[in-house]
Amino acid sequence: MGIEKRHFTCVTCPVGCEVDVEVQDGNIIFLTGNRCDKAKEFVQQELKEPVRVLTTTVRIKDAEYAMLPVRTDKAIPKRLFSQAMEELVNIDLKAPVHISDVIIKDIAGSGANIVATRTMNRA
Amino acid sequence: MQADVAVIGSGPAGLVAAIEASRSGARNVLLLEREEELGGILKQCIHNGFGLEQFKKDYTGPEYAERLIDEMRKTNVRCFLNTMVTGVSADRAVTAVNPENGVFQVEAKSVVLAMGCRERARGSINIPGTRPAGVLTAGTAQRLVNIEGYLPGKEVVILGSGDIGLIMARRLTLEGARVKGVYEIMNYPGGLKRNIVQCLNDFNIPLYLSHTVTEIKGRERVEGVVVSQVDEKMQPVRGSGEFIPCDTLLLSVGLIPENELSKGAGVELSRTTNGPVTSETMETSVPGIFSCGNVSTVFDLVDYVAQTGISAGRNAARFAAGTWKEDGGSVAVAAGENVRVVFPQRYCFRDDLIFYIRPAKPMEKPVTIGIAPVEMNIKRLYARPNEMIRLKVAKEKLQKVSGPIEVSIKER
Repeated sequence: MGIEKRHFTCVTCPVGCEVDVEVQDGNIIFLTGNRCDKAKEFVQQELKEPVRVLTTTVRIKDAEYAMLPVRTDKAIPKRLFSQAMEELVNIDLKAPVHISDVIIKDIAGSGANIVATRTMNRA
Repeated sequence: MQADVAVIGSGPAGLVAAIEASRSGARNVLLLEREEELGGILKQCIHNGFGLEQFKKDYTGPEYAERLIDEMRKTNVRCFLNTMVTGVSADRAVTAVNPENGVFQVEAKSVVLAMGCRERARGSINIPGTRPAGVLTAGTAQRLVNIEGYLPGKEVVILGSGDIGLIMARRLTLEGARVKGVYEIMNYPGGLKRNIVQCLNDFNIPLYLSHTVTEIKGRERVEGVVVSQVDEKMQPVRGSGEFIPCDTLLLSVGLIPENELSKGAGVELSRTTNGPVTSETMETSVPGIFSCGNVSTVFDLVDYVAQTGISAGRNAARFAAGTWKEDGGSVAVAAGENVRVVFPQRYCFRDDLIFYIRPAKPMEKPVTIGIAPVEMNIKRLYARPNEMIRLKVAKEKLQKVSGPIEVSIKER
């Protein structure tokens, strides 16, 4: 197998290292431009399956505000984002909700849970 | 009403300043917030990336706010919600109004200004064309989507590549809108690189540099915009205009520190930051009035905002306690070659000097950041206007400085 040269911007932190890598059979054989080891983990994951944390909102009834902000409790494959958004459209949720409460388990079969990112009291 | 420290605004800067003032021994700390809950703009910033440095956690805006609010509840800080501050005097009398108390006055020993910033709107960039519905700032769209639950449009063009614009490009796409492109007048992006990657590239949203909107079309509602290329002088290139059909134009064209109250107190403002001229203690030109966060200068990261809040809160408590030593004089901190903004603007020999530097232009080669006259030369691989540089110089190194301190960036 040939050696493939690829470029990534690490999004783990605001520094955003510009990383050049050489890849053979899906493995990193050379990596440069990174300031810490997290970039290597990031690139490895990007080669395998790009994952991101999904942050969005869901409708909530009887609450102070119309929308409850939520997130996945870990990064999920990017390709599952639209399916996850679909699953969140018609949920039936009522206040009160506490921060970190699980709203939906195993969203889009990702193994991650959707959790509340704020406490929402009754209106 | 009396107070040791009165903090105006409960976004990240104000919350941190109030907590720190209390922890530093101020007994009577008041936090004045015009909205019905604490947290400021954090509540609508539902994306992650907050507090990576401060807490070593990847919080969303609301999570970060709730963590700070929980910390504040453990202190003796007293909050006034729905409370609009209408004036601050040079002798630190704060006039405010709320439904419970009507108009009232707080005589504070020290004041912390933490009102944040406001978005530049259509009026500040003069786009020709009609005035239909559907032209709004990125932050307004963010509030509509994330707090109120309305999608402001279905076919969206974004002018300006500031971070909020990038974040909203992703947000609107997730909610089913089609974002046709982000147009940036400069030849480099305004927002952080990680936001270009995770908000635009991840969703195949194109970014057009050296482009701007030259006309808005539509009678009742936006029907489209004309985008044109610009030359080196940022003037539209004749004949380059292209009509892009859309129903919404989002503006992410810069933020301006909100300083109406500061002006009323007689605080000297900087022409480059539009915020108060402050020293490393975050004290403004008016003794006992401190400022922190985006009211001072627009920061890239909440971690930087929090750091200025810590400094302002701690020093406001010192001032209120009367342990503030006699003024030992100060020297100016000036922006030299290739530096657009340097913050703070004065050094008064009390604390370590933490600089926040915004380069004037993108420099993609290795650079040296020089601090005269202390002969500090810090090497970086590049300097970019969209990535604020933070540097710290220890107090001890600055003791013998008698003239202005100048920060410059040079190619190596």
